[in-house]
Amino acid sequence: MVRIRLENITKEFGDFKALDGIDLEIEEGEFMALLGPSGSGKSTLLYIIAGIYKPTKGRIYFDDGDVTDLPPKDRNVGLVFQNWALYPHMSVFENITFPLELRKVAKGEIRRKVAEVTEMLKIENLLDRYPWQLSGGQQQRVAIARALVKEPDVLLLDEPLSNLDALLRIEVRAELKRLQKKLGITAVYVTHDQAEALAMADRIAVIKDGRLLQVGTPEEIYERPRHKFVGGFIGNPPMNFLNGFADRGILRIGKSTIPLPKEYESVRGEVIVGFRPHDVEIGEGIEGEVYSVEHLGREQIVTVSVEGEMVKVIVPGDRRFEFGDKVRLKPKKIVLFDKKTETAI
Amino acid sequence: MLVMVLIFYLIPLVMTVYLSFTSMKNWNVKYLFDLVGFYNYHRLFYMFQHDPSFKAIVLTTIVFILITLVVNVFGGLGLALGTFFLSDIVGSKFRLLWLLPRIAPIAVYSLVWYYFFHETSIGTLNSILMELGIIHQPIPWGQIIPWGAWSVIIFVNGLVGVSFGMIVFTSALNQIPKELVIAARVDGASAWTISKRILIPLLKWHLLYVLTWQFLSLLTTYCHLFLLVEWNLVNRDYGTTLALYVYNTAFLGGELDQGLAAAVILSVIGVSGGFLTLKLLGFEKMMKRPRGDV
Repeated sequence: MVRIRLENITKEFGDFKALDGIDLEIEEGEFMALLGPSGSGKSTLLYIIAGIYKPTKGRIYFDDGDVTDLPPKDRNVGLVFQNWALYPHMSVFENITFPLELRKVAKGEIRRKVAEVTEMLKIENLLDRYPWQLSGGQQQRVAIARALVKEPDVLLLDEPLSNLDALLRIEVRAELKRLQKKLGITAVYVTHDQAEALAMADRIAVIKDGRLLQVGTPEEIYERPRHKFVGGFIGNPPMNFLNGFADRGILRIGKSTIPLPKEYESVRGEVIVGFRPHDVEIGEGIEGEVYSVEHLGREQIVTVSVEGEMVKVIVPGDRRFEFGDKVRLKPKKIVLFDKKTETAI
Repeated sequence: MLVMVLIFYLIPLVMTVYLSFTSMKNWNVKYLFDLVGFYNYHRLFYMFQHDPSFKAIVLTTIVFILITLVVNVFGGLGLALGTFFLSDIVGSKFRLLWLLPRIAPIAVYSLVWYYFFHETSIGTLNSILMELGIIHQPIPWGQIIPWGAWSVIIFVNGLVGVSFGMIVFTSALNQIPKELVIAARVDGASAWTISKRILIPLLKWHLLYVLTWQFLSLLTTYCHLFLLVEWNLVNRDYGTTLALYVYNTAFLGGELDQGLAAAVILSVIGVSGGFLTLKLLGFEKMMKRPRGDV
């Protein structure tokens, strides 16, 4: 188990800057999710930790050792891919033992380790099969077994659940988290699925366009996004945003006004106000008109048009709303973002 | 489509087999119905037993095909694997270099090697070796029999053939998910181990294809050989293969009957050799069993 420290990591591919000055510390035994849309640079960062790519600038430390110039094999990392990357011509047993064979581990020791890891992942009955004879979930377990069998210091996972169907994904993500905690291994998990990151990670690093926007626990990221993008990317439905004007403790949105919480009393000028769909009461506040209603059983998502912008509100399922109803929205928790930089004030 | 197969494949095939049982000479129709049974085949067999020139041709055909096949298939595989581990830009430039022999017209390409292996001091190889003081007299490389002549024809054809395997293997390698290679690298595999344990087993089908294709193509190729023999660069007997013999006998010598009998033998060898290769390398097994998500 190691602590990973990334210092000012920049990666350029020709003229394209995939990563731009990333500073990140991942604690020993921590489950860190690298979250971002596709093309954000999160997989590149993972491959830099693995040693597949060399950063154009910056250093990588495992504990206090500088591993920037070490080849992948000397970093002792286990890597699991989105497509699992099982060798199709090798049986499950051969797939799992491949990393040990390369390390010239004794045969008896190989058998012991394979037995241990396959038992833990409940795939001990699949050893003679070939990857094409396995279901997606089984292939994924084999891929994890192959990554874990060499007892790596760091487990790197590149969207390993993306190829599984929705139900299996939810089941496996709980198992994977449990396994990581049980082994106490430092894990870095790349995903574009915010629900996955919120459910599994100890901390989340949100990356966009090669830049690190925010690092924090799932609660921090959800409740106190430091950037408008983070608020809009996390949560389902995501955070609502409205343009407003703050002045002496009052926020004006169109014709409506709402009082600002204490921490924003000194803010003055044009702002973007963000609030979660769960954190809104329908009563008095921002004026709007019901645009659509989606019933989800116990609750419903009401889309309200405010000054031409759409705002989603989650309310209990027993209240009735009709298209065109005039409503007033009262956000209970808000976050203000600077209009220009889109960072939290 | 059927008409095309009929005109360009079936009719010539039937005609070749039929005419090999006649005494047809110079396309003269008066011999068209002069059936001579297996006479032409007997004659070839007799020549094989008693004519040193024909014996040399048969031996040359075997040596030429076997060695050039190995050079083509493994050379192509080696180049494809070698350039696979280079950066994209360097790899593609290097591969382009190997395509030049294939792009150049056969006569031009043959002429280059004609001057390279020329028996006098104008030959590039001779002049280099003489310049370096390794030899003092020019060596007539293609006239040293048998290995001098064989080396020249194998070299010239091998160089062209390598690019075919290289293209097929390179495109097959590019289809292999890059994660397989990354996973192996993270586990500590060297380029050699990755090639041996991961890439080559996944290229089995392509190896089979290139092997069969090149075998059939070498069996029937004669253009380069024709020029090298006609220009007197290589010994006539040890620079001629059966395919060239067929051409020389049937079309230049006018002895269609005998040439076509040799062509039929060549076709039989081709078909059986092709089947044997497919059988030996488990073509059926490969087609029946799903090969996984490569």
